[in-house]
Amino acid sequence: MRRLLNGMRRSSTSPVRDARSAVVIGRLLGLAFLVCFATGLYSHFLQDPLPWMRFATWPQLYQVTQGIHITAGIACFPLLLGKLYVVYPQLFQTPALKGPVHLLERASIALFVGASLVQIVIGLLNTYQWYPFPFNFKQVHWALSFVIIGSLAIHIAVKLPIIARNWSRAVPEADDEPPTESEVPTAGVTGRVMRWMDRTPAPEPTLSRRGFFTAVGLSTVAVVALTAGQSFAALKPLNLFGPRQKDIGPQGLPINRTAEAAKVTESAMAADWVLTVMAAGTVATFTRAELLALPQTQVDLPIACVEGWSQMATWKGVRMRDLLEAASAPSDKRLIVNSLEERGGYRTTEMGPEYVGDDLTLVALELNGGTLDIQHGYPARVIAPGRPGVLQTKWLRSLEVAS
Amino acid sequence: MKIARIILLAVGLAGLALGAVVMLTEVRPAQIVGVGIWILGAIVLHDAVLAPALLGIDVLMRRAGRRVRPAVVVIVQVGVVVGAIMSLIVLPEIYAKVLGAKNDTVLPLDYGLNLAVFWGATALLTAVACAVYVRAVPRRAAASAV
Repeated sequence: MRRLLNGMRRSSTSPVRDARSAVVIGRLLGLAFLVCFATGLYSHFLQDPLPWMRFATWPQLYQVTQGIHITAGIACFPLLLGKLYVVYPQLFQTPALKGPVHLLERASIALFVGASLVQIVIGLLNTYQWYPFPFNFKQVHWALSFVIIGSLAIHIAVKLPIIARNWSRAVPEADDEPPTESEVPTAGVTGRVMRWMDRTPAPEPTLSRRGFFTAVGLSTVAVVALTAGQSFAALKPLNLFGPRQKDIGPQGLPINRTAEAAKVTESAMAADWVLTVMAAGTVATFTRAELLALPQTQVDLPIACVEGWSQMATWKGVRMRDLLEAASAPSDKRLIVNSLEERGGYRTTEMGPEYVGDDLTLVALELNGGTLDIQHGYPARVIAPGRPGVLQTKWLRSLEVAS
Repeated sequence: MKIARIILLAVGLAGLALGAVVMLTEVRPAQIVGVGIWILGAIVLHDAVLAPALLGIDVLMRRAGRRVRPAVVVIVQVGVVVGAIMSLIVLPEIYAKVLGAKNDTVLPLDYGLNLAVFWGATALLTAVACAVYVRAVPRRAAASAV
């Protein structure tokens, strides 16, 4: 067994597979993980805020943070595979286990590698809206993010001396020499395979190192450049592989939940539709004609989805603050927003006071110069600056000022 | 460095503990088993299938390197890696589109055609890079540089 491990380790040895390469690619991957973690936390708390949380209402903030989250996640594919390529011979280290601490270290690496692979794969599949895994995406992606960041911190703690030694230049690792020929199998099929590999010309160090980093670098540039157009308008012409494309959809805007899926095709078109606004002690109702008769405001705000795509659009309707004033309701309180949808996790959403009172928050009635399409929330929808698309409630039924 | 390591270790253990708590409180037990299987599956798929296959291809290509110049082998390897990683990301997308998207604005592009175009462009660029190298660096100069 020991000989087999040595053989595998020796034949998988390459000039690229050293501590310096691991550090160079590891810090890029670590940075990508931290960026994903930070933007992911932001997205999570926007959707599930703790009671004391208030958020910035910069119109394009979420569009940018979530675009970065998805794009950095895609960049993790070449970076993580490159990192695993560099450290692959470590899998065959001998002795396989030196003691309980070594066992823990190797187990934590296994968890780190496995959880990271699962995390980026399910994240990618979620952007394709394909769920072949036997668990809930949102909760598992959330839980694994802590497992991964925790494992990353432990990994850095364990490897810190090596990282420090190799941060700025390559130094020979005394204990990292590949096993000599006498330590590898010589007999049987394994021996024959090893001998065959040994007759293969050895890779030339500078050349393979350059090749490796060029491959990882070009792959990263390619996967980012050819998918990020779904999030960043400047890259739209290059969008070959993004799961969404800007300007595609009713009124030039992509959608997630259709009116048919939400089962609102009748209720949204009903002649007696009214928007009900409720506050302590007061109830007011507005028909669509009455909403259109109130002062109209036009704003440019993006729809930005948790899946990373976003689209700028021009909205026209009643400013939320003006509407609440017309209903004699306060505009400095939390708002509960109800949709005509009868089922679905985002049928009822909450809006913090920072958005309720913002100049840019509208009950939108028009989109890009036309009447709001039913797929975009006719007769009326919410549009607020810097919030995830799932919270821009479509097909409004009522607004309740929280007491 | 010792203090930094202790802090990192503490942060790491706290992260793991938090992950475990979130997992146990928000995910049903049967699903947690599913997560475990997927993590294990990912490790096996990478360590026992993907990585050894890559090693085999690498050895085969280096053996080809006896007849072809090493730099040309490396340039071809770069092209193959770039195409393979892109395929890894796009093939599930093509399959998801075959299964049927929720509406017309999800997966709206012809990803199969685009992937074919990407492979074509990668092959072309790889060929150009090889040709430029072979012309720019004569065989003897390359041999003495190594």
